[in-house]
Amino acid sequence: MNGAPRLLIAVTLAAALVLQLVELPYALAVLRPMFVPMVLVYWAMVVPQPTGLVTAWITGLLLDVLLGSVLGQHALGLTVLVFVTLQLRGILSLYPIWQEALALTPIFAVYTFLMFWIDGATGHRADPWLQWVPLLTTGPCWPLAFGLLNSLHRRGEHDPLAL
Amino acid sequence: MSTLTASTRRPLFPRGPGLGLKALVLCLLALGVILADARTQALTPLRDGLAWLLRPVLWVAGLPSALAGTAEHLQTRESLIEENAVLRENQLLLQSRLQTLEALEMENRRLRELLASSAQLEERVLIAEILSASQDPYRQQIVLNKGTHDGVYKGQALVDAHGVLGQVVAVHPATSVALLLTDPNHGIPVEINRTGLQTIALGRGDGTSLLLPYLPGTADVGVGDLLVSSALGGRFPAGYPVGTITEVKHDPGEHFMEALAAPAARLNRGRQALLVWSESFAVEPPPAATTPAMPEAVP
Repeated sequence: MNGAPRLLIAVTLAAALVLQLVELPYALAVLRPMFVPMVLVYWAMVVPQPTGLVTAWITGLLLDVLLGSVLGQHALGLTVLVFVTLQLRGILSLYPIWQEALALTPIFAVYTFLMFWIDGATGHRADPWLQWVPLLTTGPCWPLAFGLLNSLHRRGEHDPLAL
Repeated sequence: MSTLTASTRRPLFPRGPGLGLKALVLCLLALGVILADARTQALTPLRDGLAWLLRPVLWVAGLPSALAGTAEHLQTRESLIEENAVLRENQLLLQSRLQTLEALEMENRRLRELLASSAQLEERVLIAEILSASQDPYRQQIVLNKGTHDGVYKGQALVDAHGVLGQVVAVHPATSVALLLTDPNHGIPVEINRTGLQTIALGRGDGTSLLLPYLPGTADVGVGDLLVSSALGGRFPAGYPVGTITEVKHDPGEHFMEALAAPAARLNRGRQALLVWSESFAVEPPPAATTPAMPEAVP
């Protein structure tokens, strides 16, 4: 293995995009965890390479098209998210998984704030409170997402790492 | 950590000049794209192209609700017969009502001709499938399977069997995006059917209600009043039901009275919608408005 499992990264990101779009009843849609940011953060933690930034940027652009937001909005947010994760990766990976989920919440909050700010700057009047609700569900979902992605990732490799 | 043997060849802390510089360049690029997309129309081809590429993602994301739809087909024969009977009865009822309506329509047309009025009674319509809906709880949009190939234009009104749904805000070659009535960015000119009062109904962003913020303090508005679309602003065809008033609030200290209304259309509960051509748009090209319709207030 030299570097990143590109195919797996692409497949998991595509799955995250689909999950972000699947129709849910209104009450549940508000609580939908931030799937795409979670997957990007996972890959930034496990495969720390500067190319992760480009991946995040392109994924963000695709998410902008899919969600109908201003082009570049999610690209900017996800790039910042991955950059911060890469910077703090050394500290984050020392924590047990539930503390990691707790420590990642402020990072996801930065992302949510960026989304909120660009919405405001480009004149999209969004509901100021509903946007923050996914933060509450993303933290608890992190151990689950991490375990799932980790098992997918490790299956492809012959050297199991105990992170 | 001794367990990291396999990944020692990878940089554990990828700092250095590469990472920060790259992040900065990408962020500036993203900011540039945001500015370009918010201020100009230059990036529309890029968005169209990406939307075309991403159709499989939309298709997969639509599968669960499509499967839920097919589950409805597996009903028992009895329930189908029952439903059939009810529908037949309904059809008969509607047919009889339609006959009187046709007579009324003819009469109306004759009267309008007498008045030399140019108002149109019949509009051209097109049925569109809703490909995906409310991907984002605070951005109430739907994607339709009709685009510029079918003559859809920006600003076109969208209705369903029960009332006005919203309007088209972006048109791609084979798909288009429509903003629903309840989106906080959406405003529609309405007329209160009982009194003829003209006002504006804004979306509240919660998906279930509309706000009428500019009612005069003395306006005759009551709970249960029907709102119909008004042709003022030139965007919506007149006379389609928009909603019914559910609550009237009047703070004695305020000049204006506020009312809440429930939309008549079944928002997010159907798979089809009707695109309506208004006569005024068929002749002249739609105005290149960058923001969704906020027609002028009419007191």
